[in-house]
Amino acid sequence: MNIVVAIKHVPSTADELELNDDGTNLDFDEVDFVLNEFDEHAIEQAVLVKEAAGGEVTVVGVDVIEELDGVLHTALAKGADKAAKIVGDIEPPINSHTHARWLADAIGEMGPDLVLTGVQAVDDLDGQIGPMLAAHLDMPYVGVVTGVSASNGSVTVHKEYPGGVMAEFEVSLPAVIGVQAAEKPPRYAPISKIRQMAKSAEIEEIDADEDFEYEGCELRQMAKPVSAGHAEMLEGDAEEVAEKIIALLEDRGLL
Amino acid sequence: MLTTTERILFVLMALILGGLTAILFYGIYKIIRRGRPAPPRENVIPSLIGAAIDVLLQRPMFRSRPVLSVFHAFIFFGFSYYFLVNVTDVLEGFVPGFELIYGGQGPLEPLPDWPINLFNLIADILSVLTLLGMIVFLVRRFITHDKRLEFNEGVLLNPKVQQGWIRYDSLIVGVFILLHVGSRFLGQALRLAENGRPDPFMPFASAASFLFRGLSEGAFTFGIHLTWWLALGLILLFLPYFVRSKHIHLMVAPLNLGLGKPGPRGELDPATPPGSDDDAEPGAKYVQDLAWPRLMDAYACIMCNRCNDVCPAHSQGLVLSPAAVEVNKRWLFNEHFADFAYRGNLPDMPLTQHVISPEAVWACTTCYACVRVCPVGNEPMADIVDIRRRMIIEGEEMDSGIQTALESLAKNGNWFGKGSRARARWTKGLEFKVKDVTKEEAEYLWFVGDTASFDARVIPITQTVANVFQQAGVDFGILGRAERNSGNDVRRVGEEGLFEQLAEDNAAAFGKAQFKKIVTTDPHSLNALRNEYGPFVEENWEVLHYTNLLLELFESGKLSVSKPLSHYRVTYHDPCYLGRYNGEFSAPRKLLEILGVEFQEMPRNCENSYCCGAGGGQIWLGITPEGERPAENRIREALDALAPSSNGAAADDKQLLFVVTCPKDVIMYTDAVKTTGNEGKIEVRDMIQLVEEAISG
Ligand code: SF4
Ligand code: SF4
Repeated sequence: MNIVVAIKHVPSTADELELNDDGTNLDFDEVDFVLNEFDEHAIEQAVLVKEAAGGEVTVVGVDVIEELDGVLHTALAKGADKAAKIVGDIEPPINSHTHARWLADAIGEMGPDLVLTGVQAVDDLDGQIGPMLAAHLDMPYVGVVTGVSASNGSVTVHKEYPGGVMAEFEVSLPAVIGVQAAEKPPRYAPISKIRQMAKSAEIEEIDADEDFEYEGCELRQMAKPVSAGHAEMLEGDAEEVAEKIIALLEDRGLL
Repeated sequence: MLTTTERILFVLMALILGGLTAILFYGIYKIIRRGRPAPPRENVIPSLIGAAIDVLLQRPMFRSRPVLSVFHAFIFFGFSYYFLVNVTDVLEGFVPGFELIYGGQGPLEPLPDWPINLFNLIADILSVLTLLGMIVFLVRRFITHDKRLEFNEGVLLNPKVQQGWIRYDSLIVGVFILLHVGSRFLGQALRLAENGRPDPFMPFASAASFLFRGLSEGAFTFGIHLTWWLALGLILLFLPYFVRSKHIHLMVAPLNLGLGKPGPRGELDPATPPGSDDDAEPGAKYVQDLAWPRLMDAYACIMCNRCNDVCPAHSQGLVLSPAAVEVNKRWLFNEHFADFAYRGNLPDMPLTQHVISPEAVWACTTCYACVRVCPVGNEPMADIVDIRRRMIIEGEEMDSGIQTALESLAKNGNWFGKGSRARARWTKGLEFKVKDVTKEEAEYLWFVGDTASFDARVIPITQTVANVFQQAGVDFGILGRAERNSGNDVRRVGEEGLFEQLAEDNAAAFGKAQFKKIVTTDPHSLNALRNEYGPFVEENWEVLHYTNLLLELFESGKLSVSKPLSHYRVTYHDPCYLGRYNGEFSAPRKLLEILGVEFQEMPRNCENSYCCGAGGGQIWLGITPEGERPAENRIREALDALAPSSNGAAADDKQLLFVVTCPKDVIMYTDAVKTTGNEGKIEVRDMIQLVEEAISG
């Protein structure tokens, strides 16, 4: 089975985020990029399907800040077979329409049986890449999936609904699946394997269609929430705390 | 003395059994050679001589269990001496009239008496001491059932061991020694009885001889022949069994000690054998993947469980037993001896199924206590690290907490999941600016480490260190965002590649920085920087612990005590990676003396210090194992040590402190004081807090 995983490089939240001067987006020179967490699950799920049903896993993403190689090497170390990056004169931010267009162009050429991608990414929380890929590629889509197993010609996917209801879908192939969580936590990629990949693996480069432009909506302003006050901890034993509460309420004229 | 038939029989037995034993010993040699190459042993001869002296003085034994070690020394000296005794006994058997009693008979008659008398006296005394020692050992194993000889429930043990084969082996060896030494002793007593007069140089045999006076001539002859055979024939019979028995330690242990690891304790052996090609797999999956000294360990092991006694994981009741690692390897060899030794078709038996369970592999704190205490120079910890290395590379499942930490370390260079820009944020709370050594020159590069940089409980202590350094006029700077975790614990978790990456990153940062020496508060970083960065850095900087530097500052008068802290009664915990690994015991103790506190050692101190349970990646574990945690056990030990003695010493109102010199210890012990319900009774303080109090009084 030819499995393709579409991934996204997103700003890391390990550091405090810095905004750009005009407050329209992040200051991308001041943030580190990491692989979108849901995409880590998509990769894990792809490798699990491959291990169970055979096939080949290709990982592809847009190289937004020219640092995608490390992510791709990691995916290869985890068991992916091929890696590709979409390159060009690219600067963040890239909106999800553009992202999906470029990915669809690349993936269409690969002739996939199954396309997996994270159900959403932390940078825009759109959750649109999956559905848009499916639309571009003319394939069915199921999102928020927590497990994929393949049998000839179709895949069975699981989805959890609120209230503890589970659903099982049979999806005919080719299809796009938006992964919420892989069946198992993503495996660890030993650094020496990643380094081996960095030495030996070849990453295919695919040119982005830079003429494509999307002008549906524009990000006008980005700001940090202004904290609306802070919580005060009342300390002491039960009696003391009770007294403090009463004093507070009286203070505010509520008693 | 022997009849011709007896002589022929003895010679035949010696040839056949001796030959068989030689073949079996060669098998052991082959088995050990199945292991992978180890770093070359240098100065082998001096080191073997040193080991021989240690063994003669029984030094490695007295690292623990002093009383039992005395009885072991009896057996050791007796048994060693018996090599000589056996030779003279064979001569007594084969040379007509040759007898040692009364200063030498027969062909010995012309010789001066005193050397023979001396020889007899020593043999007589040692025979009795050996018998005594052996009886003590048998009694403690079979009658008083010393608990230390047992394993925790759930420890992976070879089925034969579970069936009690260590006990049977001990019984066989014990009975052999009793018969061997006992018969020889009785044989001499019978000779004295036959002659009807005691020998003043054989007091014990002479005393025993009175029991046999009045036997018939035939009975004497029979008795003397029988005891001769029980003493010497038995040895021949026993020789081939040696190869299976743990008793072989008496030969392998001195070799193992002499061929011990070169280099510092704090430097792990490489993950792939030295000189191997690039695709050699790191670490070990099968027993033959281990380096040869690890296979020799199995033959040196006497199965005394001293290592279990000091193991924090075993003491907590977990399924890790360093002794079982050696015992299981040994039984694997016993069971598949011919395969390993001669045939070379090595059984498909992964270590994690036959030697140590994965759960146990992940319970080791790499505290080095087992290695330190082992009287025969074994390194069970090295096996564990090698097994981890292979598990990591093969993608075996690991604890989620450890995985999260490693992923953060790979991504961010620290295990707190924080970006590298946050690393120097702790300096914001200071009233002065800390130099960035990548931009400005400083005498000391302060390698801060993860815990001291990021943990909210430790940051105030880190700031205090900075303030004290500043006050003493120390010219220091930090690497700031360029610093990475040192990789000490990463390496001990088995993630060799990540360790290399971190070390390379740090080395690159050092290369950009200008400084003369390195100082750190973190013993783990100290260990890696001091012992394991050789291959990564150009220069060999001196790496100091902050306690060394503080002591220097006091001694040179740059710091001085204005208010002695006599209102504290304190004890001090030696961090594994400072003390046992790097031998730094004295600076903290001297500091405490300078500070004027009342100091009380805990029973387990210095080399015998007890691990806090955080090392080797344990602090990252996602689960908390059952049982009394090592740090809790330690706090109780401290309280006992600091308690006003029950025999009348006056209780005073001094405040009790548990002094630490490691950022991880601050966390572990503060926590343990709470979980043991001892808040208010004892307080955990970092050394720097005491220094600050004393200098600013
Ligand atoms: S490894 Fe050493 S300490 Fe442990 S049981 Fe064997 S001989 Fe004793
Ligand atoms: S290093 Fe420490 S924790 Fe690990 S086995 Fe040895 S004694 Fe136990």
